Amino acid sequence: MSKPKVAFFDFACCEGCQIEMTNYGAEPFLELLKHVEIVEFREAMTETTTEPIDIALIEGSFTREADRARLMEIRKRAKIVIAYGQCATTGGINALKNHQTDYKQFVYGTDSDLPHLDSKKAYGVDHVIKVDYYAYGCPVNKYEVLQILLHLLHGKEPVIPNYPVCVECKRRETVCRFDEGDYCMGMVARAGCGAPCPAAGIPCEACRGFVDDPNLAAFEKVLVERAGFTPQRAAEKGRMFTANALEAS
Amino acid sequence: MTTSFIRSDDFAAFLTAMMEAVPVYGPVAKRSRFVFERLEAPDELRLDYDVTILPPKKLFFPPAQDLLRFDEAGVEAALEPTEKVLLGVHFYDVKAIDQTDLLFSERNYDVNYMGHRETTTIVASNIQNVSGRAFFASVGTDVQPEGHDAFLTAIEGGYVFETRTERGEALLGYGAFQPATDAQIDEAARVNAAALEQCPEKLEHGTEEIATKVRAAFGDDELWNELAADCFSCGTCNTVCPTCYCFDVQDTWNVDQSGQRTRFWDGCLTEDFAKCSLGDGGSENFREQRGQRFRHRIMRKATYLNEKLGGPACVGCGRCSAGCTADIADPVRVINRIMAS
Repeated sequence: MSKPKVAFFDFACCEGCQIEMTNYGAEPFLELLKHVEIVEFREAMTETTTEPIDIALIEGSFTREADRARLMEIRKRAKIVIAYGQCATTGGINALKNHQTDYKQFVYGTDSDLPHLDSKKAYGVDHVIKVDYYAYGCPVNKYEVLQILLHLLHGKEPVIPNYPVCVECKRRETVCRFDEGDYCMGMVARAGCGAPCPAAGIPCEACRGFVDDPNLAAFEKVLVERAGFTPQRAAEKGRMFTANALEAS
Repeated sequence: MTTSFIRSDDFAAFLTAMMEAVPVYGPVAKRSRFVFERLEAPDELRLDYDVTILPPKKLFFPPAQDLLRFDEAGVEAALEPTEKVLLGVHFYDVKAIDQTDLLFSERNYDVNYMGHRETTTIVASNIQNVSGRAFFASVGTDVQPEGHDAFLTAIEGGYVFETRTERGEALLGYGAFQPATDAQIDEAARVNAAALEQCPEKLEHGTEEIATKVRAAFGDDELWNELAADCFSCGTCNTVCPTCYCFDVQDTWNVDQSGQRTRFWDGCLTEDFAKCSLGDGGSENFREQRGQRFRHRIMRKATYLNEKLGGPACVGCGRCSAGCTADIADPVRVINRIMAS
């Protein structure tokens, strides 16, 4: 049996998640290459492909109408599509601009009319195509991507947490940010990261997005009552990584 | 079994001798809170703790525990229990350990829990400071703590050390113990009785009465939805609970085709806890609503297990009440409200 063909593609993003894919270290990466054939990977090789693909890993958000055809073309060629990194899964920090209209002038100044900078609202790639699996995070957790690939290679369904970060904080006995007079987004944020930020004394900012059914009304209430936020600040708190989910709620 | 006394001045030497012989776990400070950890030095031990973030259950039933390791050649068990002493457990946590001991040993004897449990000597200790949400004095009052090997009570000038088992008796060899006087024994009894008077929260009714009325409230959807309105489904009330024992089991693979089967604490308040496979990619969640999940936990704690356990599956530690970010988990408030309706 020939090895499954895997390709990496990038859209609107910093390509930091693709760089993460080069950080496994030689041993695990060479071992992985015994089981898959990588056919396109812009940050690590010059070859590209127009052939059918078994697994397409897509990074970056959909924010230019011109990218729609390319996404659809990848979907057509790929048996399995994995959106990886927060830009591809929910729009990520690119969606921070979604409630603004003057971002092109602010960001690009005199270049703002160049055609390739003609962007609209930013969304995850599932705005355009069907996505089979999601690897969340800004940046993505490379070991989670690896686990998803290994599950698929074994014919198993990958298991992605749909519980809040509080679960992982409590498992490692992190003192709650609220108990130290701080705020946190852990109650509505998707876990799977192992909760390193609160353990280091930093609030969770939900870089893996929200859980499937976040209780945003209670979240705003707790931010106001326990962390002293104004109601407006509480309502907008989720914009950094979850602007699209806030808008939809 | 015997009752001894050790002077405060001799206590550090007792701990040091014991730590040289066997790993010793006890309550230590972590920022503004306390946790059970392996002691590195005798002065880390904080017997004046109020309550720990996680209960001592984690030593027998770790939050993530490898059960098996496998490769193409076969499978081997991952369990490697070691002898240890767990020191400074409050009586409410001993009662909780009694429950998990029963639940993990009846019918299917769970070697992955019992292996760690059987190699642990437990020294309980008196409650020097009562936590802000504790109600241990008014819950399951007919149930006595059983599964400890010795009980340590701080009194003026030292500690009274009552042994309950041979294993507890064996610890006397590490320290300069002398027989306790009647006055010291009386003082220890007074100290332990006094702690029961200091709980800030209190259930107003007995176990049976609560079980009957809570169960009768099962169909009151409006009540449960209202109680759960601010629930984040974060499972903190489950994760910090000394009597919760649900787990999920997952396999992970290494790149070289070896792998491990690991069990993780699970919690019935989380959204996907009751999500089941229907095959062919289909699934069904039989507790989809927050109110249903909230109700299930209260039912489990106050009614469902009472017959099997001989009392409620709650020991009044107050960890869930203090840990709940939205402050809706407190069993005292929920139960007292149902009882008053």
